[in-house]
Amino acid sequence: MRISLDVELEDTPGQLLRALEPISKHGGNIISIVHIRDEKRPSRRLCVHLVMDVHDRETLEVILEELKSRGIGIARVGEDVRKERLTLLLIGHVVDTDLRDTIDRLNAIEGVLVSDLSLAMTHPEAESSAIVSIEVSQGTDTEKLMAAIEEIAREKKLEIVRSLEV
Amino acid sequence: MLLRKCGELRQRYGIELSVVSITDITGTAYSGDGIDLRLALERCRRGVIDYPGAEEMSGVEAIREIEAELVVEATPSNIKNGEPGMSHMLEAFRAGKHVVTSNKGPLALEYWKLVQEARRRRVEFRFEASVGGAMPVINLARETLSGDRVVAIEGILNGTTNYILSRMTSEGTSYEAVLKEAQELGYAESDPTYDIEGIDTASKLVILANAVMGMRARFGDVKVRGITRITPEAVRLAKERGYVIKLIGEVRDSRLEVAPRLVPESHPLNVGGALNVAMLECDVAGRITVIGKGAGAIETQSAILSDIIAISRRCGG
Repeated sequence: MRISLDVELEDTPGQLLRALEPISKHGGNIISIVHIRDEKRPSRRLCVHLVMDVHDRETLEVILEELKSRGIGIARVGEDVRKERLTLLLIGHVVDTDLRDTIDRLNAIEGVLVSDLSLAMTHPEAESSAIVSIEVSQGTDTEKLMAAIEEIAREKKLEIVRSLEV
Repeated sequence: MLLRKCGELRQRYGIELSVVSITDITGTAYSGDGIDLRLALERCRRGVIDYPGAEEMSGVEAIREIEAELVVEATPSNIKNGEPGMSHMLEAFRAGKHVVTSNKGPLALEYWKLVQEARRRRVEFRFEASVGGAMPVINLARETLSGDRVVAIEGILNGTTNYILSRMTSEGTSYEAVLKEAQELGYAESDPTYDIEGIDTASKLVILANAVMGMRARFGDVKVRGITRITPEAVRLAKERGYVIKLIGEVRDSRLEVAPRLVPESHPLNVGGALNVAMLECDVAGRITVIGKGAGAIETQSAILSDIIAISRRCGG
């Protein structure tokens, strides 16, 4: 599972290493580390934002315990919900067939969020193309999503080109 | 090809091949001692009827009457009823002859009927050349990846549409303009319907679904969409987001679909020109990708030869 973790470290040499050790010791995989130097923070403490993959909740608890015992402050623990990105290319009378409705119908499916849209229109009367980015959370009913996409395509006579499965 | 390779076959595998008859639309040439291939190539520009002693004998008759061990069925594919290939194959099984074929029509329409009939008659039936031309897929999956279960297949199985889409991507030209040029260059038929509507890809996909994944799929089970609606604007939009548009055949979770798809530029399935590519998702080996020339009279011979050699080795001929 992917976890985001904000830790508070003393701004002295070797602190970051002390924070990373318990993570790697328990099989965690560090995805990213971002230093945030915040002048407003009292007592010369540094905020480091970590993203890591750990096996399970138990492992996470063990890691957090060890960090606490090393005097490392834990400001925030967050579970990053895995999102997959699906991209759709729409060809046809994309705007004229009520683009708002198309977006709404996709968003109506639980776990689906239209996050981005680009439009290319050569001529008002001619067919246009749009590319839509969709974030799909884990656990989304993909059958439902596929069915909705097919129905939109059929109804609005759009050609919908889907990206490959991740 | 056989003429060229006969020495090699003898040396590498101890195989002696003798072509005893050849049938085409003009008739049948035959010789119990083996046809003189050099003579045939010289004389038979028009058709085999020009070979000394050739007769107007149909394929089915030739298969029934002429003594031989193996039939190479390479007649034009017909997705409507599979003929004449279907009859040729069934007649060959009936006559106790092995079959090697590149003809996908009969296989796409009646895969299990043919396979079961061959099994019943205890003859070998191989068809690597029916999908992906020279690109090995069927035998690769069934024989080399024999310990794996293939859970999904994705690929570009038609060279004509890949050629068209590749050029649209690299040049920004319209679909109609590229199609015209493709026809002039011989990359597309004068009636390119089967290619551009995705029917060719669909027939190959069905064969793969049955042969590699053991499904009970029929041609009608495939959802098919071709490339006729792809516009230069669409290609450009896709490119801006780091995607190319490819006509992909996909089998996954009992779903068979042929449709234009957005493929990331760096993805293994993004192959250019008229190449074919197949990606097998295996339960142990993970993703295995094969790329090769799909169509082409010469390239397809690689697959046919490979199947002939395999049968030869199995049956000690």
